[in-house]
Amino acid sequence: MSTQLRLDALRGSGVIAKPHNARTIAALTRNPGCTRRAVMDAAGVDKDKTAAATGHPASIGKLSPLAVARGQGFEARVKSQGGAELLRLLRENLGLPIPQAHYLDLGGDDDSVIGGRYLRSRSALAASADSGPDAGTLFDHPMLRLQIAGVWVYLEPDMVAFRLEDKFYIIEIKSFAIVDGVADPGDVTRAAIQSSVYVLALRNLLADAGHDPNLVADQVILVCPKDFSNQPTAHFVDVRKQLTVLRRQLARMADIDRLLDSLPDGVTFDLAPDAHGLPTRSAADLAHALRSVEARYAPECLSACELALFCRHDAHDAHSTAALGRTVREELGGVDCTSTAVALGTGTLVPTDDLVQAAETLRAAHALRTAILGQLA
Amino acid sequence: MADPLGIEELDQRISEVKTEIRKAVSAQDFAQASRLRTQLRALEAQWHGALELAESSVSGKPGNMQLPVRETVHQILTLLAVPAAPRTIVAVHAAFFAGELAGSQLTYLRRDEERSFRTAPHGRPYYLCSALTYDRLTAARGLIAVSSWPLHRRIVGTLSARVDYLRSAIKLAEHIDRTDRPSPAAQRLLWQVAAGIPNASASFGDARPASVIEAATAELSVHDDDDRVQREQAARRARKQLGDAEQLFGAPTLSAVRKAG
Ligand code: SF4
Repeated sequence: MSTQLRLDALRGSGVIAKPHNARTIAALTRNPGCTRRAVMDAAGVDKDKTAAATGHPASIGKLSPLAVARGQGFEARVKSQGGAELLRLLRENLGLPIPQAHYLDLGGDDDSVIGGRYLRSRSALAASADSGPDAGTLFDHPMLRLQIAGVWVYLEPDMVAFRLEDKFYIIEIKSFAIVDGVADPGDVTRAAIQSSVYVLALRNLLADAGHDPNLVADQVILVCPKDFSNQPTAHFVDVRKQLTVLRRQLARMADIDRLLDSLPDGVTFDLAPDAHGLPTRSAADLAHALRSVEARYAPECLSACELALFCRHDAHDAHSTAALGRTVREELGGVDCTSTAVALGTGTLVPTDDLVQAAETLRAAHALRTAILGQLA
Repeated sequence: MADPLGIEELDQRISEVKTEIRKAVSAQDFAQASRLRTQLRALEAQWHGALELAESSVSGKPGNMQLPVRETVHQILTLLAVPAAPRTIVAVHAAFFAGELAGSQLTYLRRDEERSFRTAPHGRPYYLCSALTYDRLTAARGLIAVSSWPLHRRIVGTLSARVDYLRSAIKLAEHIDRTDRPSPAAQRLLWQVAAGIPNASASFGDARPASVIEAATAELSVHDDDDRVQREQAARRARKQLGDAEQLFGAPTLSAVRKAG
């Protein structure tokens, strides 16, 4: 069976694949080791619906309308009037020469001509790469694309591609504040992952036009409000690490056949919706299908994957040590199950050779705990 | 208080909430669905309100002492002398005019002008029309211009946004210079504009018209020639290729052609 047919079967009859965007692509990298997520995303399964149908509806990814409005307001301000604010920042901080004040809006109001818009972005950026720096400075809303599990996904980023000397940079405008040069690390990480998606897509676009993809810098420029004011400030963020993770995950999904081969025959996440779109498949049956695909739950999933509550529930039931977080799992290298950990720590189980070290740590922890509890008593 | 949402934003919010309702229903979360429905009703009420507001100000109902929106916008664009976005028009209005002008009131302005032009071409002394992109000659997103300007001034090339920013800064500064006692709002606007131009303001919050004019003119001289070449070429093409209405409101976009075909 062809890959596409296998993926269609996973998704269910007549269900349209859920489209990706930069946020969902960025989320792919948050738990790269998880097969369950990789195959579901490759097939475009609506994980939100799946999670709800198992009785563990997702709790992630819902921005408040207020936060969305604030973000849009800041971005519109920074970009307005040909990016006047942006130009000021780039001139003051990066020494952008005065003649380079070109601004080209590659966006469109209409999404029925996505392919055409991609070509327009490609020719504009390629023309700039072909000539001197005078052929374009700011390119707003370029249309980009990436291949995910064999399917081209178009991205319409709210970002600006920026040319300085002979490099292109991604400029991401975000509405979280940078106070005294420091921002919330979680916000910065999320922005970096998302920007790395654009870096990769912009590199593909230049390569597609016959240019060196390395014209795109692996540093991105993050523009945020400064110190609780509405004034923008700009900072470089290095996204090399995020790019490596992203490339690896995309390669893994490109090689999706290998993962599909590991699934039991006939497994599907079809919700078998009725005429009103309500799932008719039983929660238990669906959960069974999900469990037949290996997952690797970690607390990070809670902010990155719609299935997190389902997988956490399972991980707790299975007394999995992974559910306690990556650090614990690594400390306990090889001990997968909390009851084994307890048995090793209390000495009721003799460790095999490969677990000797973990058992020592656990016994020490147990002794410490007993001592402290003794003192408290 | 925050600006009320415009009709387009409301449209978008309404469709988002509808999607959320569908999701809640399919997840059998009926409490959430009912909360969302209440929200939907409130948004729909706001939508009707916004529509009425837009209609009343566009038609300039009797009893409304302000100038009709159309004329106000025309005055502001004449002052700036370049195509401008609703956001800019609203800011200039706040600095120089009495009364309120909300961005949502400009939402359907251009569309209404186009309709009027198409039913009775050249029936009015001027139309509020589009600026045209230099490459495709389609309507440039979000800009409003005046039909009586020379066509090349309504073309948006790659340097035009910057050139027009500098030109409008000069115009604003000249206007403030002529005004006896400019309002604090006008002075603030001048400083905000000056902040985007190298050497235009002496210190934070302080911009004198003369130095804004000098600084903007200096940067303008760097871009002006390149910009004019691009604009004039595009304008020649537009006159050759486009009919009267398209010259004002833009060549049809690809999708519009498809729909018609
Ligand atoms: S929540 Fe489950 S499916 Fe999602 S990444 Fe984590 S383990 Fe994998």
